[in-house]
Amino acid sequence: MTAEADRPEAASSGPVPWHHRHLLDVDILTAADIDLVMRTTDEMREILARPIPKVPALRGTSVTILFYEASTRTRVSFEVAAKNLSADVVNIAAASSSVSKGESLVDTVRTVEALGADMLVMRHPASGAPYLAAEVFGGSVLNGGDGWHAHPSQALLDLYTLRSRLAGGSLVGRKVVILGDALHSRVARSNIWTLTAMGADLWICGPSTLLRGFEGWAARGAAGRPFTVTSDIDAALRDADVVMALRIQKERMASGLLPSLREYAARYGLTRERLRAAKPDVVVMHPGPMNEGVEIAADVAVDPRSVITAQVTNGVAVRMALLYLLAGTKSGEAGA
Amino acid sequence: MSRETVGTPVSTTIRGWAVDPAAGREGAAELEIRDGVLVQVTWLEGDTAAGISPGDTLITPGFVDLHAHFREPGNEDAETVATGLAAAAHGGFTTVCLMPNTTPAIDEPSVLARVREAAGASGSPVRVLVHGAVTHGRKGETLAAMGELADAGVVGFSDDGAPVHSAPILRNALAYAGALGLPIIDHPEDPALTEGAEASEGYVATVLGLRGWPVAAEAGAVARAIAILADVVRDVPGARLHLTHVTTAASLAHVRAAKVAGLPVTCDVTPHHLGFTDEWIAGSRRWAWEALGEDGRARDPWSDGALVARPFSTALRVNPPLRSAEDAAACLAALADGTADAIATDHAPHTEVDKHVEFGWAINGISGIETAIGIVLAAVESGGLSLARAIEALTTGPARVLGAPGERNGVAPGLREGEAADLVVIDRGASWAVSADALRSKGKNTPLLGRELSGVVRLVIAGGRVAHAEG
Repeated sequence: MTAEADRPEAASSGPVPWHHRHLLDVDILTAADIDLVMRTTDEMREILARPIPKVPALRGTSVTILFYEASTRTRVSFEVAAKNLSADVVNIAAASSSVSKGESLVDTVRTVEALGADMLVMRHPASGAPYLAAEVFGGSVLNGGDGWHAHPSQALLDLYTLRSRLAGGSLVGRKVVILGDALHSRVARSNIWTLTAMGADLWICGPSTLLRGFEGWAARGAAGRPFTVTSDIDAALRDADVVMALRIQKERMASGLLPSLREYAARYGLTRERLRAAKPDVVVMHPGPMNEGVEIAADVAVDPRSVITAQVTNGVAVRMALLYLLAGTKSGEAGA
Repeated sequence: MSRETVGTPVSTTIRGWAVDPAAGREGAAELEIRDGVLVQVTWLEGDTAAGISPGDTLITPGFVDLHAHFREPGNEDAETVATGLAAAAHGGFTTVCLMPNTTPAIDEPSVLARVREAAGASGSPVRVLVHGAVTHGRKGETLAAMGELADAGVVGFSDDGAPVHSAPILRNALAYAGALGLPIIDHPEDPALTEGAEASEGYVATVLGLRGWPVAAEAGAVARAIAILADVVRDVPGARLHLTHVTTAASLAHVRAAKVAGLPVTCDVTPHHLGFTDEWIAGSRRWAWEALGEDGRARDPWSDGALVARPFSTALRVNPPLRSAEDAAACLAALADGTADAIATDHAPHTEVDKHVEFGWAINGISGIETAIGIVLAAVESGGLSLARAIEALTTGPARVLGAPGERNGVAPGLREGEAADLVVIDRGASWAVSADALRSKGKNTPLLGRELSGVVRLVIAGGRVAHAEG
């Protein structure tokens, strides 16, 4: 098998119709963009199924993974994805307090570029930070999660997982419930854009203190596409096709947003009992890391209806697809 | 005239559309200035007024800014008194009131003396007035040397940048300053509600994942300050409260009610809260009045193609934060109906090192003294504000907040014969491109960089002398 034969289909079938140099948010993705990511991910899944899941598509491409927040899942997923494509990978775990240390993000990004990086995968606690990086970086920036704002690769892997799991592969009219702390969640925000773009009947459900501002967003819709916000978990779960539980962090108690984890688990925890209200073949998701017994019961997490481990596997494939598509664009080309 | 003529006495004759709020008069006029003195104001009528309209040459009293930060002493890399004064003149201001949040703070007369020296050395004829700090080091704990500062000539007291958070300190300050005949210029904010806040709480902040800055953090502080004032004035009739950079409909409703009740409260709004909205953080660049739908509610920039610039620009990070189009409309309406007494710039120059960082970590502030009149004239063009009221809010409005003019404080803007000319001439038919080079301020932190603003300030005369001249 030649190297050419190993290149994914999207490339050999002509110029890649992908025109975004960076992937900073999902709000700018069209249905056609999302579809291209899904199709490319299919090809990456096929590569991952091989005995040696490695292709030379990004040989000679240097990918720097710059994480200003602790992360195992996403960082390793990007690293494995880049290595599967034969990219050279540099990992940087930066202190999130770089400003106090006197090293600015702009300076760090310029340094990373001077050291030869072609692509930058970054995670940062400040919403919008990847836009600043993209302003000064000559290559492509892939947002691996910024503050509460966006987590594009997570939303795309969630979408991919759902399309593989739902009969007919379509989300149109399917009731999808995102359950928990939407306020602090970049996963929830990115999923609002992609799931409504795919025609899902999206519901956001949680305690009112953790939905602050979302009612106003729902009133306008995501670029006009409607979704529902409620604190009524029974209404949310009724006949649901999909339930995605979000992580609850202990800091939420300290800041007075919730009385206790016990009360949260009792009122909003995803249990088998509660899932009875949903459709029998409901799909259970969680972006991880999980607090079992809090936002999701341990038996639900490992229930046959749970796709949580598939989310992890698909994460590698989606990130391979994104790296591959972004590598097809060059600095100076149109698009952002 | 060139820039070298700054400081020289003026002798010239100007014809144009004059607006003089002091005289309550607006119309075609010819002004004759001899050796810096406005010797004659002739209101033109009939044939002599032919060809003069409010849309061409505009002549008004020099503008008064109640709220500017010139960063000297302590942060001269961001602005100096000299560069700040050049910027003020470029913006049409002939009087500026400087905020005391310098390093060290202006909490006793020796720091005030340094600012005055710098102003004198600048050669600028723009009049420099200064607010003293309310508390020592602006820490909010103990009263600053208010009496000594008053003797030295401050025109008000403010801990701006921070609120006077302690209710007892605010009460004491209102009483003490009131007895000195001076206002407290309060920055209304409940810091417990704004801890870590990045953008006005609402639709845009929610979508962008920015920590919300609740309207209640301002409205609550406004209500509390007014309640304290109501108590204080019973004992100290001279007590005065001025709320600076008020930004929300809810705050303005409290001020309106307090004025109806006869309380000695005044307030100002900034040009950026009139012209910009929170949707600019998402990448919109349309004026606030263009962001308002026919139903009176903010449009959705994600639905109507308004997002044209890169999101999260730190030039938009400011305290108080940019608000919704509804709140911006409320600020404009408050100016129109007199609830808001003045337009104050809150000119806040900053360096690149403090601004070219993540949005949430950027320092607050917009460099705005040079673009203020451009935004205000755009608001007038939109029909939401009369030209007369706009000029009033830039001249006699702020002067009234300061009180009756004395030896070293207060001003009396007006086109009065026999007095030193103090006026601004604006070519409304011309426009200029806002750029780092065009700005006299060291602070280039404005979201208007690259934008054309209508209304070129051609000539500014302060105290009879040239403060700014171009073209």
